Amino acid sequence: MERSWRFWAAGAAAGLANGFFGGGGGSILVPLLVRLGGLERKQAFATSVAIILPLCALSAGVYFWRGGLDLQTALPYLLGGALGGWAGGRWFKGVQLPWLRRGFGLLLLYGGTRCLL
Amino acid sequence: MSAVTAWLLPFAAGAVTGVLSGFGVGGGTLLLIYMTAFAGLDQRLAQGINLLYFLPAGLMALPAHRKNGFLQRDVLPPAIAAGLICAALSSWVAAGLDVDLLRKCFGGFLLLLGLRELFAPEPDKERKPPRKS
Repeated sequence: MERSWRFWAAGAAAGLANGFFGGGGGSILVPLLVRLGGLERKQAFATSVAIILPLCALSAGVYFWRGGLDLQTALPYLLGGALGGWAGGRWFKGVQLPWLRRGFGLLLLYGGTRCLL
Repeated sequence: MSAVTAWLLPFAAGAVTGVLSGFGVGGGTLLLIYMTAFAGLDQRLAQGINLLYFLPAGLMALPAHRKNGFLQRDVLPPAIAAGLICAALSSWVAAGLDVDLLRKCFGGFLLLLGLRELFAPEPDKERKPPRKS
């Protein structure tokens, strides 16, 4: 129980980022669960899905309530996400994590630069 | 707008990033980049859609994670409780913020994450042995 403050802190940081940016909570949460919480990497990835889910539900509610949300535009993304998420869960056990990092990092730099220019 | 741009592309984008979202990291961030840079959605709508999108994507992935024994149940209550409080605050702020400012903040966030992926060491290199499931 003496370690639970670490999980409070990790969850708080993830909630802040995930609500403000509308995503990215996992990118904050996974390293914190590993470094602060001592979880193994695959445990941290999978556990972060379960933590982020209710945070997304709450934040989506706040967005909807404060400014509305175009559900018709959202629908195809949700259907695709259901299919991809199902596949991701099934493939996760065998996946090699490190090779994902570099390509992912480059895409983030590209996206970030576009937003700032 | 044709059926392809209205339905097929968003569906495909959601399916591809959904795999990463099912893994637990990165999918939503990539989908946000797709929606704002390629689908032409404004930053706030994209963020709202992304939050909704994680609900089916995460829910569909969870049973497999549970079956594989990767879920650490004792982590969930404190992390979710703290996360909900902070998520309520930050999404309330974001939903009222100027969209251009929101986009600039998001750009800075992406750059930081990208630099970390490229240059930070693997998270568990210097770590003590893993804790038991």
